Amino acid sequence: MRGFRFELQLASRFLLENRNQTILILLGIAVGVGVMVFLSALIDGLQADLIKKTVGNSPHIIITREVAEPLRNPAEPDGFFPIQIQRRGSRPVVEWIELTNTLKEEPQFTAVVPVLDGPALLRSGSASGSVALRGMKLEEADKIYQVSDKIIAGSPELAPGTLLVGSELAEQLDLQPGNTLTMEIPGKQPVSVLVGGIFDLGVQNLNKRWVIMERNRVAYLLGLQDRVTEIEIQVKDVFQAEELARTWANRLPGYQVESWQETNASLLTALRSQSNSSYTIQLFVLLAVTLGISSVLAINAVQKTREIGILKAIGIRTRSIERVFIIQGALLGTGGALAGTLLGLGLARLFILFGSEGYQLSLLLKPATLAIVMTLTILASVFAAFLPARRVARMNPIEVIRNG
Amino acid sequence: MAEIMLQGQGLIKEYGQPIPSRVLHGIDIDINTGEFLALVGRSGSGKSTLLNIIGALDRPTAGKVIIDGTDLYSLGEDELAYFRNQTLGFIFQFHFLLPQFTVFENVLIPYLIYHGRAGSPVVKQAEELLERVGLAHRRDNRANAISGGEQQRAAVARALINQPRLVLADEPTGNLDSKSGENVFALMREINRDLHTTFIMVTHDSLLANRTDRIVELRDGLVLCDQSPVIIE
Repeated sequence: MRGFRFELQLASRFLLENRNQTILILLGIAVGVGVMVFLSALIDGLQADLIKKTVGNSPHIIITREVAEPLRNPAEPDGFFPIQIQRRGSRPVVEWIELTNTLKEEPQFTAVVPVLDGPALLRSGSASGSVALRGMKLEEADKIYQVSDKIIAGSPELAPGTLLVGSELAEQLDLQPGNTLTMEIPGKQPVSVLVGGIFDLGVQNLNKRWVIMERNRVAYLLGLQDRVTEIEIQVKDVFQAEELARTWANRLPGYQVESWQETNASLLTALRSQSNSSYTIQLFVLLAVTLGISSVLAINAVQKTREIGILKAIGIRTRSIERVFIIQGALLGTGGALAGTLLGLGLARLFILFGSEGYQLSLLLKPATLAIVMTLTILASVFAAFLPARRVARMNPIEVIRNG
Repeated sequence: MAEIMLQGQGLIKEYGQPIPSRVLHGIDIDINTGEFLALVGRSGSGKSTLLNIIGALDRPTAGKVIIDGTDLYSLGEDELAYFRNQTLGFIFQFHFLLPQFTVFENVLIPYLIYHGRAGSPVVKQAEELLERVGLAHRRDNRANAISGGEQQRAAVARALINQPRLVLADEPTGNLDSKSGENVFALMREINRDLHTTFIMVTHDSLLANRTDRIVELRDGLVLCDQSPVIIE
């Protein structure tokens, strides 16, 4: 490969000779790559935002009891506990303390929160609303929902007999902190409860339906003693949730382990089709870049017929000439990809500075995406060079010698 | 005392696919080491075709070319290219320096093709060659920034950089004014004498042909006569 040095020299001299042509095609590649980089950053940024909004303050994995086996009610030694928990048809998790401790050993899990929930009805004067009663320890609930930080009235405390209600529900029932109201749990005596605070979790449905109460208190009210209905988990890397859920489902027979990906399948499908349309656009940009390089090199090859003829006469091998053109493609691709990346970064910066007035916009530039875009561009450039390279390298030097 | 360096045996060349037309009709030729041979003939006589076949550029339809014991057309394309590079030197009518390189770089190109980088012995040799062809002062000029005669002299230097056994020249003075032409021819003759390099030169110019060692005249693809110039005169 000692001849490679000369091939490289020849390729760069050819490119330098047609400086204007070279600069134009470099600009063309740079614009293409710039668009690809910018588009990736935009789509990735939007998706990261959306995913963060979707799963940032919600469990990534929920573990529930799978089998609908009737539980003996400790309060009624010989009777059966009437199943009332409707959420995913789950049944109370009995061994939750042991289970929670096991789950907390998993280094990928950042929060493990046992929750006891059930349906209830709140009455305040003539108004009423059906709610989801969520029994949680406040300090644990904060790990996922940051409830304490989201109290808009009253105080984030869960004293016995007090509850926290969502802002929508508070509006609906005209509640203020300090109000008392009646809570009815199916099959139980109505109890009187005190509104301790009002939260706004930023999700309308939760603000309308959720009522948070101390877990032990809920257990007492539901007659479930020392039990929970589900264990909610957050993980370090949200995209690992599905895999982790699968692993833990195998380790926990009899439990249903569900990741946010399963619950949000339609969101993920939407994101995937958004990505796909972005890839499609990028593919066509890449195709345009490839065609551009190919045509420039085809012209270049015609312009260099004399040089190639003479080089072949004085003994250069066909493959060397092919490589000269492929090197030209690679040089153009690399140069264009580098310039394009800078252009894309510049575009992104301008967009953040001037384009996002009035709304929050984040761009996400993944090093992996950059690497892929650059690699693809260089590969496409090399590929684009193949055809002109082949044709010109097969040329018969005699044609040139005879005709000048 | 004469040692045969090149043998052409029964060389036939046909062009064209459906109805081939025969350009060479079976040529036998032996060329001795150190000879300066002129290949003459009207246009269409086949002299350039013969030169290209001898120069390993064009496969004959039939026949053999043997240079220093190597049967040229038994070699593959790559081996043939390497053979041209190592054993042959070429000087063409249209100069054909690479305009992207300097005069000095052009002289080195046949060496660089297979070595990539020129070490100091080759650089020294290239400088000597430039000195010899009178272009030392043009060393770092762009190849297209010098006159036609200078370009052809640079081409002579380039043909010699790999110390070829045989130099093939196709109308080397055809595109030059008579003074430059004389210059280039004198240079070739001098190298032939000093380095004992064999030369085969295609030319239209009978005065020039008369100053070589041997004239081979082709007509209609056959050798018409093969004589020393004194007899023709």
